[in-house]
Amino acid sequence: MKPVRIVLADDHAVVRNGLRLILQQHSDFLVVGEASDGREALRITAREQPDVAVMDIGMPNLNGIETARRIADEYPHTRVAVLSMHKDEGYVVRALKAGVRAYVLKDSAESELIAAVRAISSGRSFFSPSIRKILQEDYMRQLEDDGLEDTYDLLTSREREILQLIAEGRANKEIAAMLNLSLFTVETHRTHILQKLNLHSVPELILYAVRKGIIR
Amino acid sequence: MRSDIGRKELWTPGRLLIAGFGGLLLLMIVAGVDALMVFHQSRTTNAELRSDFLARGRALENIRNGIYLSGTLARDYLMAPLPAEALAQRSKLLETERQTDAALEQYSRTLGVAEAESFRSLLAEIHTYWRVLDFMLEPDHAQQHRNSSYFYNQLLSRRAAMLTLADDIAKRNEEDVTNGDEKLARMFDDFRFRLLLILAVTLAGGLALAGTTSAHLLRAQGNLNQLSSRLVSAQEEERRSISRELHDEVGQSLTALAMEAGAAANSPEAPEELRRRLESIRQLAEHSINAVRNMALLLRPSMLDDLGLVPALQWQAREVTQRTGVKVRVSAQGLTEDLPDEHKTCVYRVVQEALNNSVRHAQARGVRIEVTGQDRAIQVLVQDDGQGFDPSQCQGLGLLGMAERVRHAGGEIDLDAGPGRGTTVRVKLPLPRNLTA
Repeated sequence: MKPVRIVLADDHAVVRNGLRLILQQHSDFLVVGEASDGREALRITAREQPDVAVMDIGMPNLNGIETARRIADEYPHTRVAVLSMHKDEGYVVRALKAGVRAYVLKDSAESELIAAVRAISSGRSFFSPSIRKILQEDYMRQLEDDGLEDTYDLLTSREREILQLIAEGRANKEIAAMLNLSLFTVETHRTHILQKLNLHSVPELILYAVRKGIIR
Repeated sequence: MRSDIGRKELWTPGRLLIAGFGGLLLLMIVAGVDALMVFHQSRTTNAELRSDFLARGRALENIRNGIYLSGTLARDYLMAPLPAEALAQRSKLLETERQTDAALEQYSRTLGVAEAESFRSLLAEIHTYWRVLDFMLEPDHAQQHRNSSYFYNQLLSRRAAMLTLADDIAKRNEEDVTNGDEKLARMFDDFRFRLLLILAVTLAGGLALAGTTSAHLLRAQGNLNQLSSRLVSAQEEERRSISRELHDEVGQSLTALAMEAGAAANSPEAPEELRRRLESIRQLAEHSINAVRNMALLLRPSMLDDLGLVPALQWQAREVTQRTGVKVRVSAQGLTEDLPDEHKTCVYRVVQEALNNSVRHAQARGVRIEVTGQDRAIQVLVQDDGQGFDPSQCQGLGLLGMAERVRHAGGEIDLDAGPGRGTTVRVKLPLPRNLTA
């Protein structure tokens, strides 16, 4: 099996070393480059065309979120995992909108990092459990405060199933194969789901799924 | 900026004020003393003039009477049937002459310049008159001239001349009084001029003093404003750098420590005891990471710089809700992402302070935060449902700090609070020209 090729970007050498140590313990991972800021990360990504880029948010020159946005635009086959000190929802939302598919807290156990790299390298998303918890709690509080109707109840069970698969990062084709449906049907479901939940993009849908505790 | 720090100034504002007010006071005292002196002088001059006038009038009257009386006495003498009676008349006449001379003597002592000539003529006339009278009244001549028309004509014409002269002198005397009045008037004119001059100088001095004092005050106020603005921005800068330092340096080192410890704790070749210890090191590091993160966020939330104003406000709202249970809602409209740093910070800090007040002092249960960008300005509203307070009773550092920040950013702040109607803080911040909200 081909190893997962990984680029690390963090302005702190000690953190990069720690990350490399953790990742190198697994034989299916290969760290192909290290960058100390966003621009360097972009250069190395262009050169190495890695499967996964793991980066910090707070980096000089070009911050992690902007770097992720450019990578998602220019090298869509490279999936980005953000490794951050920031627990706040604002950062998670911003990262998701920039095309990030995994958000791991720096102080979480190393197993989370491994899980995140595995998940995004196979096309799924990943969020640190503490992040999921924060997002869920915030969402519940908002629903309660605003007295809003929980839109999740509007979904049929098939739609809920498809919502989870989309949020996990599966492509329409994949979902159609898994559920034994036509591609057209899956696409129709997808449109209905976005309409019912009043969402407009996949990042929003992923955020919704995390908030609702649908994906883990 | 002028650098006069450390240099000893001769004219400090305090000294200038003392000298200025002292000078003005001195001028007023001078004016007052002058006025008193002038009034005193005018009174004495007036009294002197009056008594002079009266004395001279009396003397002149005596002279006139003497002349009349001497004529009458001379006639009586000539017409006296008995020598003894004639003698009595003569001695009366001599007495009158003496009295008249005395009056003349008295008058000459207070003689004015204008009447001197007339008076000398009068004196000469009178002395001649006396001589003629005396000659005529010599006992030998008396009988012989008793009917002489020479004397009659001589005496009559002289008397008329003398009386004219006396009238003339009386007129001069009156003129003297008028002159005296004029002198007084001139004195008063001089006094008025001096008073006006002093008044003008005082006024000019006062204005100059007020001008320099206000200029000093304005400059001091300006310096103070500048200082407090600088303090505010220096404090913010310091917070930002400490927050960054904590988050990026300390936080990252602790993160690396946690990672290493974690990796070592998981390595299969390490003995069980060591692994347990490494794991506890990792947990300690995680605790520290959390502590550092919270400290950094409290100092200055990284969202403000990384994500912008609204995410930072939303974080703040969530924090307060989580910590205190007070429901905080943030709504934002029409804001650009690239707000100037000063405005971002100002709005954030003002909202933070207002939120703090609502939660801590007003016992609010809900707070509404609205940030609107409109017409090249940001409008901020923070409204709570608490018990309110009396702003005039509470000039805390927090409110002052809010006002100072807003003033520094060129905006206006309005605080409306009263018992029972909650607290509303409104801020309007104009945006720089090149930005639309």
